[in-house]
Amino acid sequence: MSETDKLKIDIVDALKSIQDPDLGRDIVSLGFVKDVKFCGGVAAVTIELTTPACPVKDQMREEARQAILALDGVDEANVEMTARVRSSSSDNQSLLPGVKNVIPVASGKGGVGKSTVSANLAVALAQSGAQVGLMDADVYGPSIPTLMGLSEKPVSGPNQQMIPVTQYEVKIISMGFFLPKEKAVIWRGPMLDKMITQFLGGVQWGELDYLIIDLPPGTGDIQLSLCQKVPLTGAVIVSTPQDVALNVAQKAIAMFNQLNTPVLGIVENMSHYRCSHCGQRDEIFGTGGARKVSESRGLPFLGEIPLSTNIRVHSDQGKPVVLAEPESEQAKAFLQVAENTAAQISIRAMAGELEQDIKVSF
Amino acid sequence: MDEQTRSGDDSSPIPREITRAGDHDIRILWKSGHESLYPARYLRLKCPCAVCVDEWTGREVLRPQAVTEDVAPSSLELVGRYGLRVRWTDGHSDGIYTFKLLRELCPCCQTS
Repeated sequence: MSETDKLKIDIVDALKSIQDPDLGRDIVSLGFVKDVKFCGGVAAVTIELTTPACPVKDQMREEARQAILALDGVDEANVEMTARVRSSSSDNQSLLPGVKNVIPVASGKGGVGKSTVSANLAVALAQSGAQVGLMDADVYGPSIPTLMGLSEKPVSGPNQQMIPVTQYEVKIISMGFFLPKEKAVIWRGPMLDKMITQFLGGVQWGELDYLIIDLPPGTGDIQLSLCQKVPLTGAVIVSTPQDVALNVAQKAIAMFNQLNTPVLGIVENMSHYRCSHCGQRDEIFGTGGARKVSESRGLPFLGEIPLSTNIRVHSDQGKPVVLAEPESEQAKAFLQVAENTAAQISIRAMAGELEQDIKVSF
Repeated sequence: MDEQTRSGDDSSPIPREITRAGDHDIRILWKSGHESLYPARYLRLKCPCAVCVDEWTGREVLRPQAVTEDVAPSSLELVGRYGLRVRWTDGHSDGIYTFKLLRELCPCCQTS
């Protein structure tokens, strides 16, 4: 064996000391280490993560660099971080063939900020480099076009499929595109079911890492249809800290449990208010309630979003705060929710690779 | 979401494999390792849809005489992550058999 080959083995061995904190295993046994090169004292490796929105990406890169540099004969280490989002479900996605993960955002109660969370979540994931779609399934009060600053309509593509509108690198479809503002959707169940089918299979989503679905409040026809049409990766539950919202949020969790759809975790929106003049923190709706519920239900807590004027202003102006003011406390809070959500999806997907899908041969 | 729902034990059963058995019966191999064999007509008579079972009282509306002896499934499809829809040769396909219901209906586990 040549010196170079021996050193390559040493490099891989050294990388075994690095753990993925979310998946709880070392990056070598997870198969993340690709492309180990060594030439003239310079080592180069590629680490392929399960999401570009990995919260500990930079830390892992530095740990890997240090581990390789500690080896005899290595003068320089170049670590490249890439990502390939895994799919949480391998087959039976006939309606959404190119979509790896479908994530409904639900709440139970209305007015807790599902659409704002959905829009910022979608944009934050897209900013990290992932391919993202955003479906506004709230037919009664579609707000995604406003939040994403859209007025154009999607056009029809080949095979009579709709081509979603792309804004801020997110592919978007919404009932709001098809109805004038002063008209309302007054439909019974079968029509809603048809609309969901149309928004899933009748839209040219293409290849997506994440399809975020902004649901209407409640546990009704739209939620049920969605849970029946496609295997969902897992739901994100949004709640404010008040009991009145949390109690209804638990109904949404119960619905997903009953339909065997995993819940990825809970987001606490309007968690606190920070006065823009004096900076004092005020807990208008209380705080920490969603965290308590997530603990008692054994669900991950995905983060807390403050109540703030700038989220509202940028939402009304059609540019989510993660893009409009990326350095703000509010944008960072959304970013953290996006990273935690992506981490939970990776955990599910990696577990799914070990678990088998349901095989139907008939 | 608790561990049970994911691992698929008996409180929240998940199939591993769904296949044909014999000429027209259905076989389910569960994640727990248990195997269930459902005679076609038995499963057809247990259809949980609102036409076959009264939604409010749970009374069975479907009369056994109305189902022919040779009824058989013509196709199967998964419903989301929680159930199975069966298309029967008599044209019926409204019932969604949840995994939980199917596990309860397992003929070899019936006590009576």
